[in-house]
Amino acid sequence: MNGTPLEGHANTSVAISRLNMVQVYHILKCSSQAVPEGFRRVIRFSKLVKKLGLTRRMLIRLLLTLGGATAALGVWSGTLLFHRPAQPTIAVIPRTCGTWLWEAEHTGVERTARGYGLYVYWNAPMREDDVQGQIDILTRAIGRRVKGIIVSPVEALPLRTPIHDALDKGIPVVVVGTDLGLAPNEHLAYVLNDERAGSQMAARRIAALLHGRGSVAILGIGKQLTSTADRARYLETTLADESPGIHVVFRSLALPTVSQEQQGAEKLLLDGPHVDAILALTEASTRGAFYALTEFKQTHTKPLVGFDQNILVPIRTGEIDSVVIQNTYQMGREATKLMAEEIHGGATRQFVIVQPELVTRENIDSDAVKETLDLAWFKK
Amino acid sequence: MRIRNARWLFWPGISVLALLALGAASRLALLEWANQKPFFHDDFNRGPNSHAYQGGWRAYGGTWQVVNGTMRNIADDRGAKLMNGNTHWHNYMVEADIQLLSETGDAGFVIRATQEEVGVDSYHGYFAGLRDRDDTLTLGRADFGWHEFRANPVHPGVYPGVWYHLKVIAFECTLAASATTDTGETTIASVYDPQCIEKGRFGLQSYSTGAVWRNVELRPATEKDLLALLGGQVPTAPDPLPSVPEITNAEAYQRDTAPMQREFLDHQADLHALSIASLRLLAPNQPSHVTIHGVVTLVSPVLYVQDSSGGIAIPQAHTVKPVQIGDAVEATGDAELHDFSSALRNASVRLLWSHTPVPPVAVTASQAATGAFDAQFVETEGRLVSEQHTSGNSAVLKLLEGSQSFVAIAESPSPAESPHGFKIGSRLRLRGICVTDQLFTQNEIPFALLMRSVEDAQMVESPPWWNAQHVIELIVAILTLSFGLQMAYMSVKRSRLHAVIEERERLALEMHDTLAQSFAGLGFQLEALCGEAAPGSAMRTQLESTVSMVRFGHMEARRNIAAMRPGNLEQAGLATALEQAAHTIVQGGAIAISMSVRGEMKQIPLRIGDTLFRIGQEAIANAVRHAQPRAIHLRLIYGRRSVKLTVRDDGHGFSTSGEGAGFGIRGMKRRADGIGAILRIRSSPGHGTSVAVRAKLQQTMISSWWSHAARKGLLRRWWNGKA
Repeated sequence: MNGTPLEGHANTSVAISRLNMVQVYHILKCSSQAVPEGFRRVIRFSKLVKKLGLTRRMLIRLLLTLGGATAALGVWSGTLLFHRPAQPTIAVIPRTCGTWLWEAEHTGVERTARGYGLYVYWNAPMREDDVQGQIDILTRAIGRRVKGIIVSPVEALPLRTPIHDALDKGIPVVVVGTDLGLAPNEHLAYVLNDERAGSQMAARRIAALLHGRGSVAILGIGKQLTSTADRARYLETTLADESPGIHVVFRSLALPTVSQEQQGAEKLLLDGPHVDAILALTEASTRGAFYALTEFKQTHTKPLVGFDQNILVPIRTGEIDSVVIQNTYQMGREATKLMAEEIHGGATRQFVIVQPELVTRENIDSDAVKETLDLAWFKK
Repeated sequence: MRIRNARWLFWPGISVLALLALGAASRLALLEWANQKPFFHDDFNRGPNSHAYQGGWRAYGGTWQVVNGTMRNIADDRGAKLMNGNTHWHNYMVEADIQLLSETGDAGFVIRATQEEVGVDSYHGYFAGLRDRDDTLTLGRADFGWHEFRANPVHPGVYPGVWYHLKVIAFECTLAASATTDTGETTIASVYDPQCIEKGRFGLQSYSTGAVWRNVELRPATEKDLLALLGGQVPTAPDPLPSVPEITNAEAYQRDTAPMQREFLDHQADLHALSIASLRLLAPNQPSHVTIHGVVTLVSPVLYVQDSSGGIAIPQAHTVKPVQIGDAVEATGDAELHDFSSALRNASVRLLWSHTPVPPVAVTASQAATGAFDAQFVETEGRLVSEQHTSGNSAVLKLLEGSQSFVAIAESPSPAESPHGFKIGSRLRLRGICVTDQLFTQNEIPFALLMRSVEDAQMVESPPWWNAQHVIELIVAILTLSFGLQMAYMSVKRSRLHAVIEERERLALEMHDTLAQSFAGLGFQLEALCGEAAPGSAMRTQLESTVSMVRFGHMEARRNIAAMRPGNLEQAGLATALEQAAHTIVQGGAIAISMSVRGEMKQIPLRIGDTLFRIGQEAIANAVRHAQPRAIHLRLIYGRRSVKLTVRDDGHGFSTSGEGAGFGIRGMKRRADGIGAILRIRSSPGHGTSVAVRAKLQQTMISSWWSHAARKGLLRRWWNGKA
């Protein structure tokens, strides 16, 4: 490698133009000027090319071929993935979807996510008791490397391991509606319905309807989900504390279908103890009790106070006295806010408790209830 | 490292070009597929007489069957889909006859759909269908959530078990649907969606009900088709729907509460029904007419019903309305006790409630084999042993789990493409009714699983990679790779040896042309001087002594040159090369050279041959220099795995017990050690010297076998089919 000194040349630019890169490098190296790192790399590359014996034409052809192949692969990949959203995606997995209870959450999530520039992947099992189906969807979401997961567990215990798996992979999780027992941390937060408040509303409504005296039946006591199990506990505590003249004379465990709940309520009305009112703690038990009361024409003599938004039209006619509804719209909003905070720099809250609403004939058309029951998730 | 041509670019270049060609071909295929015109017709006949069989269906939920020219979903999942077609289809029209199987759901067509998944409304696309819950023709859009555009009342109503003709058109951003009753009354629903989904597949969907489709036909749609269907109706954008239905009058009340009225009336049931498990306690010798409640878990080949206490078979059930999987029913009939469960004979079955499917109980094969889960809907796992398809198009999977073997039977053919083609050895998760009836077990296996369809079998795990075939392939690959590496290593060593030999040759030539020629010239000049010197003079004596020394030096130089030149070792073989070298060394003398060879001559690796040659050459030279022998005998013995060279002379020998070995002997030992050979030198004063070296022929197992096989002609015999 011969260095060509610049001295002696009348026109320096002409001289430089006649030098190759390596010669320029040597000149710069010999001079006091610092040689840029990029220039060093170019020199190393040109040395390698020279060592390999590649001519300039061969090098150009090689680069063109590789460039063409890369471009073709890029176009091809882009074609295959054209529908992939550019926004960060969060997966929202309720217990099921297409129901009043969970589509309101969908509305809350969608409207909040748009404000934060998040894309929502919304899916759930076809049935509300399909634990494995929910775990499958959750596992797929983890595999897609979504930015976050909002999940409403079908059951508490079986979901612990998949949620741990998501957390281990660095995916933040917000659990809606059920306390899993996992301790919250900077990546795991809860948005829960205030079961105590909902139970107190129902108990006080019953107390008001019965004027503080009478007997009631509690149907649909949960044995798996802690949230519905809590309802029964808080309900009885409130009745005992505030309305000792009201006695719970019949209790039944939650059954998976409306027909089974209807049969259970029929047996209560036919063969069970006398009750002045019925408290139904789940969607299915509320509907089942309503059908049994309708069948025996007792809708106006035995007030029914239910839980969760599934059957609201009879409230207008007085056939159902009232229903304690979860504000899943607000829960969806809060969960998405927590997730957005987590994605954009770290959430500061780990527990958010959302107040339920007692829907009665008097307030069914109020703005608060309408917002809670808003199913127009698609509205901008 | 310098590369003088671009050969090394050849394979990468070819690879890149092949990749580009593949990409281009795929792209063309994709374009061809995308430009495929939307034409579709399926008469749902899967026999040889089918006129319009169409494959390509893919199920997302539901239990789909092809029965008598119809496509059925017999499960009432919420949002079961069966998809077909092309995601690039744009303007098209699809129509079919549709019948709903229960009162609480809807069924129709999905159009312009993409990204379908299992789940409620889990796709991007539109749906148009008939809903019997509120007697409407519905039209809406799904984006993993439902947005209902229209729900137009159908007159006189939508009833289960009645055929309706449904036609749906997607043209640009206008969607329109029409439903025609068997009496000819037509209901139309249309919408203009400004932000429409432009392209997508079509499919069949039912929600909370089973349904039947027949004569599904799809073709491209034009504006003329759209206008003809609309009949003057102008599509508008969707209206906002109220969150809670507002009841303002009796008609609205009736409309909104009628579905509930139907539901609870259907649910009125015999409150004295027995649990299924309690039938086991009935007197076995007396006929018992009983009523049970349960959920349908299988319809065909036998109706199975299950409650929380167990399952029961109801053969030849009489049903007022067709029942589906997931229906809650009331059955009344004569109880019949079997070994592990009961059956209900002469039973009448009444539908109580739809879409209440029971989840399966997860059990192990060993638990299922006890009979404790007879007639119950279970989920278990097993490894596939074999798969058969009977003439009736039933799929029979034979499985093994631990020590239990069982079969899983799917009676009805599946329209969907999925899970056929499981690899033997795959681990499957199966759902079905566990039965111990000998009709299915043949009394050879403990139980059988009656699946609702082949979709009830899902692969959990592929067959283990470590099977016999893969192990053999891996061993062959490793051996081939080892053989290749060995060959490459040998090739490199051979090249290196060739380079050393070439260098020696060059040095020998240099010595010949310089040193030896100088000695010759010096000797010639000294002899001339010697001739001029007076005989007997001191000068002449000194000159003669000098000439003698020069001759000796010349001779040594020639010997060394001869020793450095390898001769034609490769061409002539070791024996000939050694003999020639011996003759060259003793040239001009009276030493007799003899050579004998024993054993089967074979190809000796160059490195070993060269070393033996050098040792032999050194031994001959030593004998000539120091032993003054009359004869030198060379012997070469070829063993099966070794070769032995012996150089024996009858010179005056030397005592091997003397301190230290000469430079020549040390050189021979070093050379022998270099190839792992054993060198033995036997000599005693007056009894000559024997130098023997034994070298192993270092062959790989493969090359050894290969040479052995080649020698014995095994390969030729195998090739000719005689081995």
